[in-house]
Amino acid sequence: MYVSWRWISEWVDTEGVDPVAFADRFTLAVAEIEAVVRFGHGLSDVLVGTVTEVAAHPNADKLRLATVDLGERTVQVVCGAPDLRVGLRAPFVPPGVTLPSGIEVRDGEVRGVRSPGMLASERDLGLSDEHAGLLSLDGVGAPDGTALPEAFALEDVLYEVDNKSVTHRPDLWGMYGVAREIAALLDRPLAALPTEVPLGEGQPVSLAVHAPERCSRYLCAGVEGVAVGPAPVALRMRLRSLGVRPISNIVDATNLVMLETGNPLHAFDAGFLRGGSIAVRRAAAGEEMKTLDGESRALTTEDLVIADGGGPVALAGVMGGLDSEIRDETRRLVLEAAHFEPVAIRKTSLRHGLRTESSARFEKSLDPALAEVAARRFLRLVLELCPGARVSSHLVQAGPFASDPPPVIEIETSAGYLRSRLGVDADALSDAWMDRRLGQLGFGVRRDGDALAVRVPSWRATRDVSIAEDLVEELGRHHGYDRIPSQTPLVRPRPPEMSPSRALERAIRQVAARQAGLHEVVLYSFDSESLLRRLGLTSDAPRVALRNTLNADATHLRRGLGAGLIAAVERNLRHGPGAEEPGKGTSVGLFELGRAFLPAPPGGGGGDDRDDSVLGLAPDTLPALARAGDAAGQRYASLLTPALTEGVEAAIGLGPLPLQPHRCALAIGERLGGGAEGERRAQPPQPLSVRLYRELVGVLELLAAELGLGPLHIARQAGPCTLPGGAVEDAPGWLHPARGAQVLAGGVRLGVVGLIHPDVRAGLEVAAEVAVAELDLEAIGQVRAEATAAGRSLKAGAPARFPAVAFDLTVRAQRTTAARALLDATRALLTERGAPVEDVALVGRYRDATDDDAVALTVRVRLREADRTLDEADVPDARALLAELCSPAVAAGRWALPEGAA
Amino acid sequence: MCPPNDVSNAGWQAELDEVRAAFEAALGRCADLAALRHLEVATLGKRGSVSSLLKTVGKRPAAERRAFGAAAGKLRGEVSAALQRARGQIERAERDAELRDDRFDVTLPGLPPRRGSRHPIAIVQGELEDVFQSMGFHVLDYPEVDSEFHNFEGLNIPSWHPARDMQDTFWLEGGHVLRTHTSNGQVRAMHAFEPPFRAIFPGKVFRYEATDASHEHTFHQLEGLMIDRQVTVGHLLESMRTLLSAVFGRPVEVRLRPGYFPFVEPGFELDIACQVCGGGGCAVCKHSGWVELLPCGLVHPNVLRAGGLDPDVWQGWAFGLGLSRLVMMRYEVPDIRLLLSGDVRFLSQFPA
Repeated sequence: MYVSWRWISEWVDTEGVDPVAFADRFTLAVAEIEAVVRFGHGLSDVLVGTVTEVAAHPNADKLRLATVDLGERTVQVVCGAPDLRVGLRAPFVPPGVTLPSGIEVRDGEVRGVRSPGMLASERDLGLSDEHAGLLSLDGVGAPDGTALPEAFALEDVLYEVDNKSVTHRPDLWGMYGVAREIAALLDRPLAALPTEVPLGEGQPVSLAVHAPERCSRYLCAGVEGVAVGPAPVALRMRLRSLGVRPISNIVDATNLVMLETGNPLHAFDAGFLRGGSIAVRRAAAGEEMKTLDGESRALTTEDLVIADGGGPVALAGVMGGLDSEIRDETRRLVLEAAHFEPVAIRKTSLRHGLRTESSARFEKSLDPALAEVAARRFLRLVLELCPGARVSSHLVQAGPFASDPPPVIEIETSAGYLRSRLGVDADALSDAWMDRRLGQLGFGVRRDGDALAVRVPSWRATRDVSIAEDLVEELGRHHGYDRIPSQTPLVRPRPPEMSPSRALERAIRQVAARQAGLHEVVLYSFDSESLLRRLGLTSDAPRVALRNTLNADATHLRRGLGAGLIAAVERNLRHGPGAEEPGKGTSVGLFELGRAFLPAPPGGGGGDDRDDSVLGLAPDTLPALARAGDAAGQRYASLLTPALTEGVEAAIGLGPLPLQPHRCALAIGERLGGGAEGERRAQPPQPLSVRLYRELVGVLELLAAELGLGPLHIARQAGPCTLPGGAVEDAPGWLHPARGAQVLAGGVRLGVVGLIHPDVRAGLEVAAEVAVAELDLEAIGQVRAEATAAGRSLKAGAPARFPAVAFDLTVRAQRTTAARALLDATRALLTERGAPVEDVALVGRYRDATDDDAVALTVRVRLREADRTLDEADVPDARALLAELCSPAVAAGRWALPEGAA
Repeated sequence: MCPPNDVSNAGWQAELDEVRAAFEAALGRCADLAALRHLEVATLGKRGSVSSLLKTVGKRPAAERRAFGAAAGKLRGEVSAALQRARGQIERAERDAELRDDRFDVTLPGLPPRRGSRHPIAIVQGELEDVFQSMGFHVLDYPEVDSEFHNFEGLNIPSWHPARDMQDTFWLEGGHVLRTHTSNGQVRAMHAFEPPFRAIFPGKVFRYEATDASHEHTFHQLEGLMIDRQVTVGHLLESMRTLLSAVFGRPVEVRLRPGYFPFVEPGFELDIACQVCGGGGCAVCKHSGWVELLPCGLVHPNVLRAGGLDPDVWQGWAFGLGLSRLVMMRYEVPDIRLLLSGDVRFLSQFPA
């Protein structure tokens, strides 16, 4: 939206004010100015001329020779304009002048004929992009030879205002409203807007508003004897400068008054209004109309139309109809000035993809009083533009506004309160200044000592100003926020809390990025359907679906972080041998911290409860409070406005939120054999998969140690498990059923770890092996809290002073045997015998050279007493221990004595 | 060593001499410690030549036994001493060689360990959390999928407001929304904490809009909220000046301009003096000397009501910082889409 400084100056004395310097003040007090632009400057060497003779060019068909009278002299120039004719008045540019558009005019030859200067179009002069003909100066009173800026109102300074910064200010969508702000800021008077106009008798048409909820006010008047033609150049250039294309004097008048008052207008050719009637009604289902832009529009009953006896003639508040538009032959017109319900206008505008200057204003909650001001301003302007015209009717009005105008808003407050909210005293912001400034902005102020009753003017009363805080803003911005002294808040010292999820995320990030050397990614929360299909991960598991989507690929929220992270690993491996990690070749390690989304389990246990209570946040008691009949509930209900109460009830009605668990996913991937891209699906060699898997388990063990979770337990994968929130969760589809495992600590399932499923691997666009883990932060938080409560947190001891005794035990086992079971059995056996176990660790797993299904597992046992050196009695005989470990009772067929040991 | 005239000694003496000679020859060939260790095993080890001789003492005729035992024991002592001497020599030689070694290329490039990175949003968010926490702000976390009430009505954004239109909001089947701002935590925080309190809540937010180099449908914000008695614009100014100076690590000048956000009244756009030119005017600040940083304002009474606070008693200020935008400013990130690309070539530039 543009503000014209020249126009403003018609109502406010701007003498001595530099508009460029003032732009800062305007930005700080009213609305953001994106740019200050000059319009029509640099044209003082351009002269008004009259074409007195037109002759053919001897050497060119499309060029002609124009003789131009410049008052004191006459010149002949070459001209290519199609509208060149004798009697035309147009701008003449003498040679030697450089125009703002960059054109340098010379005294040269054009196709063999001398041409000292040129006649100019709007584009030549830098006024617009119009280049179809010359800028017509017909009707300009100044004599030939007058400099352009002196011939008519041209030069201007424009403010380009950020539309977003005035969405809440319908009054600023008209120039007069802006003038009111500027007058107040300058502390100078604002001229009134004359609205007197001689009206005629009777009705222009029979008028009825059938949809009063959509149209509170509809005014119309008839005008006879209009002569449609171009508007005077000054008016046309004013529209140009404000970004509106001139069309004809009548249409330009509707647009000019819209720009002036903010209230859009529409003029119908009275001859094309069938049946002499206008009805404001909802469109019938299936009804159609052709709008001014030539488009056929299928209407719904939610659209409001202006209809004559034959059907819709305008899409109310958005665009007029093609059939009844003003044309050159129009002699009688009917003016519409109305007030429409803003939300419906916006919805209609969105539904038809039709945003116009009109809809942009009507959807801002305009002042209904403005419609009559605009109508009268238009009639005055038409009488001025068409001396032969007269208003042929009353200003006829329909709609509920006349009998039931909106109530006047009066705000009761006090000067002290307004000042206290700003943090200023009466010396800085006096009562007298307060009263005067509010008055300048149109507020009616009644003062009784400190108490104030402030009446809100109608143009600010439509949703903009209604409470004392709104007045704080009015005073603050006009006083100047930069003049408000800083104040240190009085705070009470209290240690701040950090929500457990945030704290855990930070701790995990430290370990994963800094210690494990993984890269953190943040990925989209949406599933990619094409990715899931490619990796064979589509499933029936319930997901949270979107109602509106940006593209067909992102229709659901992710159930987990694994698939997205695998895709990120794939993308990074596709970038070729990892230059970013020279030491690691073609390997990449990533992790993400974020939420997964699961539909709320039926029968309550909403996302809020789970999220908040389990993670230790205070529960969100809002719905409970609002519903409860207890004192707290009643107190809360008493605070709520009707709109808020409605919102609370709607929120309760929608039911619980989806579960939104915080997760951590980690992945390490490596390309197979460093082969070229596209060369894929080679069976990955076993060592790589084992290495990646063990590296990732190592990261998890590091995490567990750093977070104080106690020892991790990696268990062979079981079937579905129940999440803390009650939802049953299958193992994720990407997890390899045989090379994946559950991760537990303190008896709680934290998540899963494993290699990716062979089908997922086959779907990857690089030949790669990937190990992935996905953990639930809530479960980690729970284990961590329990470990802390049980005193399992770190206790520092002195270094061991007495030596340890270590020995190895080697057994023969099937490859299917879990090493974890052997370690547990060994530890149990030692503990049973009262041996002071310090550590039991797996130090070797060797494949049998002759039997592919067999391995040798070596366990290293370390014993130590804290307070003395071990003696022989403390150390069990290794041979006897091994025998017992391999006895059927303990080994249960899982392992046996190595060959040759018996 | 042995009396040559004692003929009865001749048999075993030859055996000893042979072992000794073999040892001495082998010792002469030992060039490094590994060979020496090998020789030690071959002589003094369990089945070594000297040890084997000693094992035969008991099987010798009684007459020889004493003399042979003494001689063999002596041999063992001599062998052991010779080995130790040789070890000392080799160790010295090796040390001297190492000290003169010019084949060690000290200019070889380093072998990098696996090096990770934190996401730039996490880095900046972490710094802000530390700053705010040090000033007594709770650091909180609220749902990304939320009710309309928390995202809209409770924030005084009624159903007629344009922000509620489909073009701005992702709606979920069932009627909940993906939060369009971190302000959805305001009412939740008011219910969760006894006033007065201060809190920030950073996180992921979603807008239903097309993406390009400067627009993303998923980005990050950081909300700030302070609730207290008698909160003024002056308090907001001072708080923002202090907080932002801490965030930027140097004194920051701020100014307020009118701005419209339904959940604050009065509402402001907060500008900071351009960090590039220091306020003199440059391309970054479009020659104004100021850069728009964040929207803020005094909490609207209707929001306080929704939070269960009586606006006659409690007031507050709030701000919404564009975390993604701050990250882009700080690191001069050319394209916002890089932030969620998961591309290690971009991410590995950031520290762990």
